Amino acid sequence: MNRSVVLTADPLDEASLAASRPVSATAGAVVSFLGCVRSMESGRTLAAIEYEAFPEMVHRQFQVILDQAEARWPLESVEVVHRTGRVEPGRPSVWIRVTSPHRAEALAALGWILDEMKRIVPIWKRPVWG
Amino acid sequence: MTITVHFWSYFRDLTGIKSDQFEVPPGTHVGAFLDLVYGRHSALVPLRGSALVAVGVEYADSNQVLEPGSEVSLFPPVQGG
Repeated sequence: MNRSVVLTADPLDEASLAASRPVSATAGAVVSFLGCVRSMESGRTLAAIEYEAFPEMVHRQFQVILDQAEARWPLESVEVVHRTGRVEPGRPSVWIRVTSPHRAEALAALGWILDEMKRIVPIWKRPVWG
Repeated sequence: MTITVHFWSYFRDLTGIKSDQFEVPPGTHVGAFLDLVYGRHSALVPLRGSALVAVGVEYADSNQVLEPGSEVSLFPPVQGG
């Protein structure tokens, strides 16, 4: 399984991310997720979220997650790009793309990877209130 | 031996520092080390129940024995995405 995990302080552009990472012709399913910052949190207006990461541990914990995903589903690739720094409402904070021969495993794996990321990958949000 | 603890996210705000160092005897467990950390940084005590602990880049439990040069990280629940 091809895998890639990137932390970046640069804005995410989904079209550029997808275009710069060609998909194998053997993949029948290409499932991507773009997580964006909401404008409201707990009834309050957000000006932005500041993302902080522990980079070395982020990479290690994603490897743990992707090892398990690979053992569980016949995936061809998993790519993760997560923002650090300030992200304003409406702008993406994370992009994940999973490819596999068939859709069921790609859809299942993507949801599971997101859940695991939120459980063990050391990234934190700091709200900047509007 | 000297063990360093790194604070992340708002734990850094509560302690006012990014990291701290402690002298501990060989064979010290993570749990005993954390007792020292919370003793010096009492602002973290109310959050002890939800705090996460890593040694290096792996999550650790209280029974893990620290080695010379171990780097401990202490942080609140993660919130990626």
